[in-house]
Amino acid sequence: MQTAPAYTAVAARHTLQRPDPPPAPAKPQKVSWSPDVRLYVQRAFEPDNAIPGIDLPMMQEKLKVVITQAAETGQLQGIDWSTYPLPQDLIKADRDQTAIYGVQNAILANLNAPAYPQNDGVYPPGSVTKKRKNGDVDMMDPEPREITPPWKKKDTKGGLEDRITGKNKNKSKKEKKAEAVRVHDLGANADVLEKRRQRFGLTTLEPPHFLSSRDESPEPVSTGPLVGTCQKLEKSYFRLTAPPAPDTVRPLPVLEKALNHIRSKWKKEHNYNYACDQLKSMRQDLTVQHIQNDLTVKVYEAHARIALEMKDLGEYNQCQTQLRALYKSNLGGKAEEFTAYRILYIIYTCNRTDMNNLLADLTTADKQMPAVEHALKVRSALASGNYHKFFRLYQDTPFMGAYLLDMIIQRERIAAMAVICRVYKPDVSLHFLAQELAFHGEESDTSDPDAGPRQCLDFLCQHGGEPFVERKDDGDVRFATGKAIAVFEGAKAAAFRGIDIKGQI
Amino acid sequence: MSNELDLLWADFATAYNTPDGYLLATTITPEPPKSDPARLHRWQRWTNAYSVQTDLRYKLQYNPNIVLEKKEASTWLDVFTAYYSFAGKLLAAEEAQKAGKRRDADWSAVYEAWKDVMSALYRGYSNNIFAAWTIPCLYIAGKYLRVFAIKADANAASQRDSGLAFGALQEEDAFGAASKNEKLEDAARQINRIFALCLSDRSEVQSSRKWALYYIANLLFKTYFKLNSISLSKNILRSLKASGSDMPPLSAFPKAHQVTFKYYSGVISFLEEDYATAEEFLVSAYEMCNIHATQNLQLILTYLIPTKLLTSHRLPTSTLLQQTPALDRLFSPICTAIKHADLRAFTLALEHGEEEFVKRRIYLTLERGRDIVLRNLFRKVFLAGECEPAVTKEGEAPGPPVRRTRVPVKEFAAALRMAGAEVGDGEGGVDGDEVECLIANGIYKNFMKGYIARERGIVVLSKGGAFPGTGV
Repeated sequence: MQTAPAYTAVAARHTLQRPDPPPAPAKPQKVSWSPDVRLYVQRAFEPDNAIPGIDLPMMQEKLKVVITQAAETGQLQGIDWSTYPLPQDLIKADRDQTAIYGVQNAILANLNAPAYPQNDGVYPPGSVTKKRKNGDVDMMDPEPREITPPWKKKDTKGGLEDRITGKNKNKSKKEKKAEAVRVHDLGANADVLEKRRQRFGLTTLEPPHFLSSRDESPEPVSTGPLVGTCQKLEKSYFRLTAPPAPDTVRPLPVLEKALNHIRSKWKKEHNYNYACDQLKSMRQDLTVQHIQNDLTVKVYEAHARIALEMKDLGEYNQCQTQLRALYKSNLGGKAEEFTAYRILYIIYTCNRTDMNNLLADLTTADKQMPAVEHALKVRSALASGNYHKFFRLYQDTPFMGAYLLDMIIQRERIAAMAVICRVYKPDVSLHFLAQELAFHGEESDTSDPDAGPRQCLDFLCQHGGEPFVERKDDGDVRFATGKAIAVFEGAKAAAFRGIDIKGQI
Repeated sequence: MSNELDLLWADFATAYNTPDGYLLATTITPEPPKSDPARLHRWQRWTNAYSVQTDLRYKLQYNPNIVLEKKEASTWLDVFTAYYSFAGKLLAAEEAQKAGKRRDADWSAVYEAWKDVMSALYRGYSNNIFAAWTIPCLYIAGKYLRVFAIKADANAASQRDSGLAFGALQEEDAFGAASKNEKLEDAARQINRIFALCLSDRSEVQSSRKWALYYIANLLFKTYFKLNSISLSKNILRSLKASGSDMPPLSAFPKAHQVTFKYYSGVISFLEEDYATAEEFLVSAYEMCNIHATQNLQLILTYLIPTKLLTSHRLPTSTLLQQTPALDRLFSPICTAIKHADLRAFTLALEHGEEEFVKRRIYLTLERGRDIVLRNLFRKVFLAGECEPAVTKEGEAPGPPVRRTRVPVKEFAAALRMAGAEVGDGEGGVDGDEVECLIANGIYKNFMKGYIARERGIVVLSKGGAFPGTGV
C-alpha cells in the first residue's frame, strides 16, 4: 500500500481500516517499514520542524512521494533516513529552484494547474459541477508532471482519496486545533469562536484583511502590493499558496485588454468554463496587486453576469459580495442593477436576517431606482403571498434579474397552486391557471395561443396533478382544484425544504 | 490622612467576612460607589507605580482584618495591580473627554487595561482560587469590558472619519473588510471565555460558578446583537441547554437575570419566526419585569406587540401604547390603520416607520399585519351585506335573519379600491384576478372561511364563523 507511510506516524490510525485502495499505479507488493523510515516520518510531523508557508497537507503529499519513490526504486534500505532532508525542506528547495528557474517554468506551471480550487462545497452540485469537472479535465495539459512544482499542483489521486475518506482533512484540522490549544491555552476559545464564525460565513467578525472570498489566499500583510510584469492576455486560475512571482501577474493595462478579450471571446464561444477560469485569474491578479478601481468593478460585474446566466450561484455570490463593498467606495459601476440582483438573490435564499440587513442598508435614493424598486415590489408581493402580482412582475424584470427569478419561479408556482387548490371550488380552467402562473409559451413563438396552457399542463403533470385534469365536452380543459389540495401542499413543503442559508442547495 | 483607601479595604474585609460577592465587586468596579465618589483619584494618591505592589502586599497579606490564603492574596495582588494601572488610564481618558478633546481620550488603552484586570480575575477562577460567591466580580469584568470596547470603537471610528488614521489603513477600509468593531469583537471573545469558565465548573451546584451563567449569557446576547451577529447567540443557548441537567433551574436565579434572559430568548425566537415560543418568553419577561423599569418594559413590548399581532391577531390598547411616547410613536399609526381596515394608512405607516422598524428587526413581521387589514376590510364587506330571512321550519318561530353568505367578488373589489389597494389593471378598471388572489390568501391563511366559485364570480363564505375569532 503506497499511501500508508504518511500515516504510520499517527498511532491511532493503525487500527482503522483503510478504504478501497486507489486503483491506478499501486504497487502490489507489501512493504513493511523499517524503524528508520518511521522515525523519519515522525520527524516530518514534528511541529518544531514545520516551515511557515508549507502546510501539513503539502508536506504529507511530498512525504508520500519521497517514500513511494524510495520504495519503488528499492532504495528504502539504502537511504540514510536519519540525515535525509525532510519533505518540507525538499519543498522549500523546490520552490527556491523554481524561483531561479524563472518565468518559463512558472508560466507552464500556471497553464498546468487545475483551473478550480479543490475546496468542495463552494459550488452547487448537479449539472454545473459536473460540467465544470469535465472542463477541468479538458483543460488539463497532457504534459508530463515533472515541470509542475508539487506545491502548485495537487496530486489528484491523493486529493480524491482524501476527499473520500476525509482523513487528511480531519486530521489536519484536528491537529491544528490541538496545536492552537497547546500553543496558547488561553486563546483557545477565541480560536474556536473564530473557526465557528468562519464556518457560518460571518465575515463581519473576521480580522481585517482586504479580501473575503474563500478562493483567494490572503496576501501576507507585510508584503506590499506587487506590480506584475506578465504580458499575456490569457491566464488560467489556480489557487495561490505562496506569494506570486511578479512575472506571473498581469499589470493594469494588460488586465484591461484581457477583459475585453475575454468578453468578446465569451460572446463568440459561450464557453463558461473558459470564461469563469479567466475571470477568476483576473480577479486574483487584481487582488494581489491591490487594484481597486473601475476595472475591478467591471471584472466583478462581468463575472457576476456570466455566472448568473449560467446559474452558477456560488461564483455569482462571491462576486456580489465583493461588488457590494466596491460600490460602497464609489468606484462607479452599475450599482442599481446589482443591488436589484442582491434583493432577488436574498429572496431566493429565503434569508430573513440578510433581508432585514439589506433593507437597513438601502437609502431612499436606492429605493427610487427602477430596478431596485422592481425587486422590492417582488419582495413585498412574495411576502404577502400575492402570487398574482408576483407573476406580473416576473414578466417585466429589468436587466438579468429574470435569471434569478427563474430560480424561484417553479417553487412559487407550486406555492400558488397550493393556495388556488385550497380556495377555488370546484375547478378552474387551465387557461386561468396558465395566465395566473405566467405560462406564456416560448418567447419566440407568440403566435400559438395554446403554448402557455400546454406548458402549464406539463407543469401540473410534473407535480402529480395529472389525475385532476379533465377535458369537458365543449373542449374546455379544467383542473379539479378541490381534489388536488394534498398533492400541491406536499409539493410546496418539498420545494421550500432544501434551501440552505447560503442559497446553495 | 494616612490612608486614602480605608473605605475600600474596609469593604473588602467585610465582603470577605460576610461573604458578600456584590460588595466585593464594588472594590473593583470602574464606577466608584456613591459612598466614596472620588475613589479612583484616591488610588492615585494612595500609591504609585513603583510601590503599588508593596503597598498592596501590605494590605492583602499582612492585614489583620483580612485573612487570605497565600495564593488568594497574591491573585488579588495581581488584580489590584492591574486595577491601579487601569484607574490611571481611565482618569486620563475621562479628563481628556471633559476637557473637550474627545479624540485624545484613549479609550482603547482603557479597554486594554481593563482587559488586564479581567485576565487577572480570570486566572483566579481558572485556577480555582476564588470561591463561587465572588462571581459578581466577573459580572463587573464582563459588563465594563463591553462598555469600554464600545467607547474605544467609537473613538477609533471618529479618528478614521477625521482622517487621523494613516492613508493605507483607510484604503483597505474602503473595501469594507476592516472591522468597525474591533474591540467589541474582542470583548465578545473575552466574555465568551468567562462564559466557558463558568460553564465548565464541575463543583457542586451550591458552590458553582454556574450561577453566573445567565448574567454572562445575557451580556453575550447584548454584545452579539450590537455586533449584528445574532446567530452566535444560538450557540450560547445551545450550550446552556446541553448542560441543563446540572444547572439550577432558571427560576432560582436572580429576577433580573431571568427577565433579561427571557427577553433575549424571546427576541431570538421572534427573529427565527418561532412566534409561539417568542410569545411565551416575552409574556413571561413582561410579567416579571420590574414595573419601574420603563425602558426594559418598552423593549419587551417592542417585540411582544408584533408577536401578538401574528399569533392571536391582537392589537395593543391605546392606554398601553400611550404609557410611553416611544411606543406610541412606533406602533399607534399602524395599529389604528389595522383597526380601521385602512390599507392606504397602513402602507403609509409602514413606510414612515420603516427605518425604525428595520433597525429593530420588526419590519418583516409588522408587514404581515396587512393580512389583518384585509381581513377587517373583507369582514366589513360581509357585514354591510343585507340579511336574508332565516329559513323557518313549520310551526317554529322565525329565527334571527341570516347574513348573506354569497358575496360577489365585485363587492370586495370596490371595498379594496376604497381602502386604497393597488388593484387597478392599469386601464382604470379593476384587476379582478388580483382581487381574487387577495381573497384567496385570506382564505388560505384561515382569516376567513369559504371558497371562490370563479365561474360565477362569487365568494361563498361559511355560514357559521366566516371570520374566525372576530365574533362573525
